[in-house]
Amino acid sequence: MATFNLYRAFRFSLNVSKSKTKDIELKSCRSLHMSSFLRNAENGDVVNATEETSAEAEEFRVFEIEGLKKAVSARRAERATKRAPPPRYRSMPTDQDWTDVWPTASTFKWSAVPFPVRQGFVENSSENEGVIPSKYANLELMKGPNFLHLTPAHVKKHCKAIKHLSTKWPEGLETDEQCHKHFPLESITSDYVFAGPSLEDDRARLASIKFKLSDLELDYHAKDKFIRLVGDRYNADTDEVLFESNRCPLKSQNLEYVKFLLTAVYFESWKTETWEQGKQLSDMETYVWDMNKSRETCLTLLATMRAKDKGSESVGDLKLSGAEARAICDLAEVREYKTAVENLFNDGENSETLDAYKAAVERLLQLKTAA
Amino acid sequence: MSLHQVLFRTQPMGCFLHISRGISLSATLAKNRKSGVPKITPFRTKPLTYEEAIPPSRMNVRKGWLSFNTSNLHEEKRAGETTFEDFLVRRFLTGTWHGSLASEVVIKRRHNMLVLSFLVSMERILPRQVYFLQGYTERMLSGWFKMPVKIELQTVASQKDMIFKKI
Repeated sequence: MATFNLYRAFRFSLNVSKSKTKDIELKSCRSLHMSSFLRNAENGDVVNATEETSAEAEEFRVFEIEGLKKAVSARRAERATKRAPPPRYRSMPTDQDWTDVWPTASTFKWSAVPFPVRQGFVENSSENEGVIPSKYANLELMKGPNFLHLTPAHVKKHCKAIKHLSTKWPEGLETDEQCHKHFPLESITSDYVFAGPSLEDDRARLASIKFKLSDLELDYHAKDKFIRLVGDRYNADTDEVLFESNRCPLKSQNLEYVKFLLTAVYFESWKTETWEQGKQLSDMETYVWDMNKSRETCLTLLATMRAKDKGSESVGDLKLSGAEARAICDLAEVREYKTAVENLFNDGENSETLDAYKAAVERLLQLKTAA
Repeated sequence: MSLHQVLFRTQPMGCFLHISRGISLSATLAKNRKSGVPKITPFRTKPLTYEEAIPPSRMNVRKGWLSFNTSNLHEEKRAGETTFEDFLVRRFLTGTWHGSLASEVVIKRRHNMLVLSFLVSMERILPRQVYFLQGYTERMLSGWFKMPVKIELQTVASQKDMIFKKI
């Protein structure tokens, strides 16, 4: 013990001389060895004696033969592996409210779904030991959308929640005909839903209105002019007119614009301009018997027949006055003939119109007496 | 020196001169080059997940898509933007959930919302780290894409649970 203290004292003295600090007490040494040194340092002769034996007391490293001593390495304590709690479906009661478990649309979650389900395809026993993958760690089940948030219980709950927002269906609008009668104008707009950060879609600004032409108050001229003005917006087969527009930036503006179009075309069609008086036979929209050559031929023929019946000889330059012509036109067989010819031209040739025409001609020319 | 000796000495140079490269006009039969089909190892030690095991030719028959959106429907827009965002999301998640991403990322778009579903292996990650990374990922991606991002992840105990077959 004494030699050890001497040795330490020597080392400390060397340190002190290096740092050139004379006051040893300032080194607040608290260790046992240091205090023992201070004790020794009080008598200077001990320090001097140690200086002589400094060469022998030099520290040297001990050669350690590898593998001789058993190496003890301090291993860090392994972190206790926390085991995941058992999946939730194991502790679910059978009479639970499923809407609380799965309130909204969500990805399939194997731990919350209480029924066994498998998805995947196994070709042979080398794949997943020949078993179709179960719901645990199954990405396939997570891919597709599911309807676990839309069970009858959910729908009932939703309906109950929004019931106070709905109003009763108005009386007198039970059928489509009634709806059409009270609301003849149908406006069509579309909203577009898509996956993206914005709600805007330039296709949504298209607005259109649709109505039946027969619902408008129009006389013959106005209806004809209306059809001519709207052009191919009128569908003759369904008697419907469709106005659509996407020229304005907003849907509401387009809707206003098509309503303005309807108003403008309606009032325009009621006007009769001066240039409309010069409507020629080629401008007619339909076959009008009164304007055509057929009328003249028919009346002349009938007048000639009558003149022949009376025994008149000069029938070549027969001229009918307006009153005479009108009198002939009012005859029942002439009116029937007129209708038959007009139908034949306007509706096209078919068995009905041809038969009607045949019957009208027979009556007109008295080819066949009524049997 | 005989002719034979001369030829023998100049053989290296001769070999060099004989190398010639022609133009092949016939169609290449690349029957062993397939995309998305991993190669078989000698002792069948390479583990594959279900997603990796099913070749692309069986897509939508034996496995589903990894992206669900409206952009690729007829006359719909944003196809390029959506594809690029999907690419970015996958890159970001691979780096953020480094070493813990047990599966591919399924990207579903509902209206303006981006739903990411994937499996996380809990081998090298603590539950609190999962919570942090989930919030971090949602926050970062929401800021970049200007749409709410929701992560619906599930955990697996180990990457070994994902093994479907070994080739």
